[in-house]
Amino acid sequence: MIATIKSEWRKNRFRPAFLVGTGLIAGITVLVYGGSWYQALNPGTAERAVSLASLYPAHFVNNVLGAGWPLGAAMAIVLGAVFAGSEYSWGTLKTVLTQGPGRVTTWVGRVIVFMAWMGIMAAVLFVVGAACSAVIASFEGQALVWPTVADVAKGFGAIWLILAVNGAIGLTLGMLIRQSAAAVGVGLVYVLSVEIIAVRFIDSINNGAYKWIGDLFAGQNATALIGNIAPQPVAPTISAEQAMVVLAAYLLGLVVVAGGLLRLRDVT
Amino acid sequence: MQNITIVETHGLTKRYGGGVLAVDSVDMSVRRGEVYGFLGPNGAGKTTTLRMLVGLIRPTSGTAVVAGHQPGEPAGLARIGSLIESPGFYPYLSGRENLRVVADLASVDQKRVDEVLDIVELASRAGRKFGTYSTGMKQRLGVAAALLKDPDLLILDEPTNGLDPQGMAEMRKLIKDIGQGDRTVLLSSHLLGEVEQICDRVGVISNGHLVKQSTVQELLGEEGVLVRAHPIDQAQELLTKMFGPAAISRQDGAIRLKTKPQNSLEINRRLTAVGIGVSELRPFERSLEEVFFQLTGEKQGS
Repeated sequence: MIATIKSEWRKNRFRPAFLVGTGLIAGITVLVYGGSWYQALNPGTAERAVSLASLYPAHFVNNVLGAGWPLGAAMAIVLGAVFAGSEYSWGTLKTVLTQGPGRVTTWVGRVIVFMAWMGIMAAVLFVVGAACSAVIASFEGQALVWPTVADVAKGFGAIWLILAVNGAIGLTLGMLIRQSAAAVGVGLVYVLSVEIIAVRFIDSINNGAYKWIGDLFAGQNATALIGNIAPQPVAPTISAEQAMVVLAAYLLGLVVVAGGLLRLRDVT
Repeated sequence: MQNITIVETHGLTKRYGGGVLAVDSVDMSVRRGEVYGFLGPNGAGKTTTLRMLVGLIRPTSGTAVVAGHQPGEPAGLARIGSLIESPGFYPYLSGRENLRVVADLASVDQKRVDEVLDIVELASRAGRKFGTYSTGMKQRLGVAAALLKDPDLLILDEPTNGLDPQGMAEMRKLIKDIGQGDRTVLLSSHLLGEVEQICDRVGVISNGHLVKQSTVQELLGEEGVLVRAHPIDQAQELLTKMFGPAAISRQDGAIRLKTKPQNSLEINRRLTAVGIGVSELRPFERSLEEVFFQLTGEKQGS
C-alpha cells in the first residue's frame, strides 16, 4: 500500500491538471472577493447589497464555502474524471497493473492520493480566502478578528467532503467511460444541470410528496451542508448531520463502485 | 536453457462480448532461459494471449501458470517484466521520472532506474518529457521499465513496432543481449526475420489457434539438397534408389532431397556418371516465411 501511495504521489504531485485546477480555485476565490469588495464600495451598481463587514476575516469561512460550492465541486469533477480517464487514454493503467500490487491495493492507493489532493485544494481555498479577507480588512482599517478554530475546521471539513464526493463522481465516470473528455462532459452536465432539473421535478410532484427523494441527491445535500454552516436567507430543510451522512455514503459508494469496475473489468 | 517451463497454458480461451473468439484453446509452454518467439499475423490473438498471461484480461476458460503463479498474482508479477502493445507512460513526466513512478510501484530501489536507462542507452535523454520522445525512444523506455525488476521472465509484445530499420536492428540487438543467461524472453511479433534471428523456439498462432510450437530448426524442417537435372525423371529414379522414396519430393521442376548437404559431391558424381546433366545443386532450407504462410494459411505477397 505504501508503495502504491508513494508512486501515485510521485506522479501526481506536479500533475498539470491538479496545479491548474488548484490555481483556478485560488483565482476564483480572489475574483469573488474582489467583485464583492467592489460591490460593497459601490452599492448603486450592485444587484444586491454586499455588506463590507461580511468580507472581513471573521466571515471568511462563509465566503470560502460560497466559492467552494458549486464552482470548486465542478473543478473536482473535472479532476476526478481526468485522474481516472487518462490512465486509459495514455495506456498507463496496464503499466500500473503489471507491476505487482493487486488491483484493490492500487485503487485504494490512488483514492488516498486523490483525496489528499482534494484536501490540498480545500486548504488553498481557505488560505486564499483568509488572505483576501485580511487584505480587505487592512485596507478598510479594521482589526483582524478571525473565526474560531472549530468554525474553520467545520468549514474545511464540509468543503473537503463536497470536493471529495464530486471528485468521486468524476473518478467513477472516468473509470466507467474509460476516457477523460466524455467523463468530464457527462459529470459537469449532470451536476450543473441534470440534477437540478431532476430535483425540481421530483419536488413538484404531488405537492412535494416525494421531496424526500430529491433530498437524497448529492447536490441538495452539499447545498444543505453549506447552508447549515454559513447562514442563508432561506434555512435548509436538510440538517447538517443528515447532509454529512448522505454525502459520506455517496463518497463510499462511488469509491467502491469505481474500485469494483477496476477490479472486475478486463484492461484491453 | 533448461526444460523447466516458466509459462504453461492449457486450453487458454478468450471470448469477448458479442461472441468474438480471440484466443481458442491455446496450449503453450515456454521454457526457462529461452527466447521464445510468438508469431502470428495481425489480429491472430497474440496480444490477447499476452494480456491474459500478465493478468490484464481474464480468460473465458482454460488455465495458465506464469512464473509459478496464476496470471495477475502479485508474487508472479514481481518476477515478470512486460511491455504490452505500446509503452504506457505519463507524457508530462520525464523518462527518468516515469521509471521512478514504476520503480516505486514495483518496490524496486531507485538506483535501478539509472542502471536500466544505461542498458537501453537512454540515460542522456532521460530528463526529457516522455511526450516529446520519438517512437524508438518510447519503445526503449518501455523495455527499460520492463527490466526494472530484473525479471526472470520478460514479455515483449511487438517491441519493434513503428521503428525505422536502424531502430529495429538496435532493438533486436538489445533483446538478444537481455535474453542472455537465465532470463526468459517471450517475444511476440509478426516480423519473421526478427524472430528467426533472435528466438530459440517459436509458437505460431493463427485465428486464435496455436498451430505450431517447436524450435526454429524443427519448424524449418530437416536439412536438404535441391537438385535441378536433365532428364529430371531419370535423375529422380536414381536418387530414389540412393536415398529411398520418402526422402524425395518434386517442386517447381526441381527435386528436393532430404539429406545432408555434405552428400552433394556424391550426388553430383553419381548423376553425371550416368550422363544426367546437373544444372543446379545446392543446400536447401525452407524460410520461416514459407513455413509461416503454410501454417497460417495466409497468402505470400498478399
